[in-house]
Amino acid sequence: MIDPIRLEKLTVRYGRTTACADVTLAVPAGAVYALLGRNGAGKSSLVRCLLGEQRPSAGRAFLFGESSWKSRRGAMARTGVVPEDPDAPLAMTARQLDAFCRRVYPRWDSDAVAARLERFGVPPRTAFGRLSKGQKGQVMLALALGHSPELLVLDDPTLGLDAVARRALFEEIVGELADRGTSVFLTTHDLAGFEGIATRVGILKEGRLVVDEEIEALKSRFRRIRYANRLTETRTAFGTELDSFDAPRVRVRGWGIDAVVSNFSDESFERFRAIDGVENATAEPLSLEEIFVAVAGEEKGDKR
Amino acid sequence: MAGLRIDPSDATPIWSQIEEGVRRLVASGALAPGVAVPSVRDLASELRVNPATVAKAYQRLTDAGVLTVRRGEGTYVAQEPPELPRPERTRLLRQAAVRFASLAATLGVSAEEAAAALQFAWRSLGREKAGRP
Repeated sequence: MIDPIRLEKLTVRYGRTTACADVTLAVPAGAVYALLGRNGAGKSSLVRCLLGEQRPSAGRAFLFGESSWKSRRGAMARTGVVPEDPDAPLAMTARQLDAFCRRVYPRWDSDAVAARLERFGVPPRTAFGRLSKGQKGQVMLALALGHSPELLVLDDPTLGLDAVARRALFEEIVGELADRGTSVFLTTHDLAGFEGIATRVGILKEGRLVVDEEIEALKSRFRRIRYANRLTETRTAFGTELDSFDAPRVRVRGWGIDAVVSNFSDESFERFRAIDGVENATAEPLSLEEIFVAVAGEEKGDKR
Repeated sequence: MAGLRIDPSDATPIWSQIEEGVRRLVASGALAPGVAVPSVRDLASELRVNPATVAKAYQRLTDAGVLTVRRGEGTYVAQEPPELPRPERTRLLRQAAVRFASLAATLGVSAEEAAAALQFAWRSLGREKAGRP
């Protein structure tokens, strides 16, 4: 089966600034891929290239095996998009937008659109420009799903949503996954919200894809290790006993060492604890958000 | 499903948390034999997790004889506690014990403390059961 999304060494430059560099990834059918990154990490440029709205400086983006830049028409008929900024004409009502789309898409389900808008509580006869930010997002989602796409692309979908609208969004996405096995590609800052829904996670840092992994595998290899400070006094370098681990973040606290390791295993931790002076070390799992902060949030000079 | 709590931020895979949670509800009697469990779609929606994750947990529980599927009707708690062959039972029990022991060890807990926690959990399971009509 053709992967709904494939990026090959995608690179976007603006003058001397590189927005994303050599990004290669695939979203297989049925996956829910969450792309994470701090503001300015290159997510928006990547999404624009993926949707054929922008030409990459180098490398290629494919939707259902077709080049997004050259021939996106066929692929876009199989893709639903919820853009970061709702871009529907402000004067049109939800009902008029639905009627417009029905003429564009060969398979269009107006009943499903109307049912979604009703579930969301969006008035169908109010001009788009007069809807709240949350309601605009909901109209965009209802329209994006109107042609029963095989792939749904969501650019920061929970941005600006209140708790109720956010819950409705998750229910809609989960329902879509259950009913039709839709593949999903999304960018988000709402890590806690998507932690249970995403199957795969990518982390962009300064334009580079530094993590591209199944979420279960990612979480199983990250741990926070903490232990008391009693041996560091006699050593010149702090935390050298952690050398057997990859530790993206090591902090020296008053009470001891607080480190995040990215290649944890029960066996390696057992060997670590055999080192004299760290017998009381503990290892705790990290949430996706904590992993993200450890990987992407690190300030220069923070790493030792 | 009342009483089923999961924590997506935990390192334990979510399907495993659901599997363990349903086992606990069945063991304590909170989910009685023959009772229908929510559909995959409904439970996924309630927990806000990927339906494939719920489906995986249900599949494992069905394979283990905790749940039964009635075609076209839905999924139910099995009438009888699962009759597993003794070696299989031992294997499953040891597997779970290894997981528990590794967790205890990584938390820096002694074997005695871990055993005490197990005793406590066993007793509170009994209390939950006794508290039911």
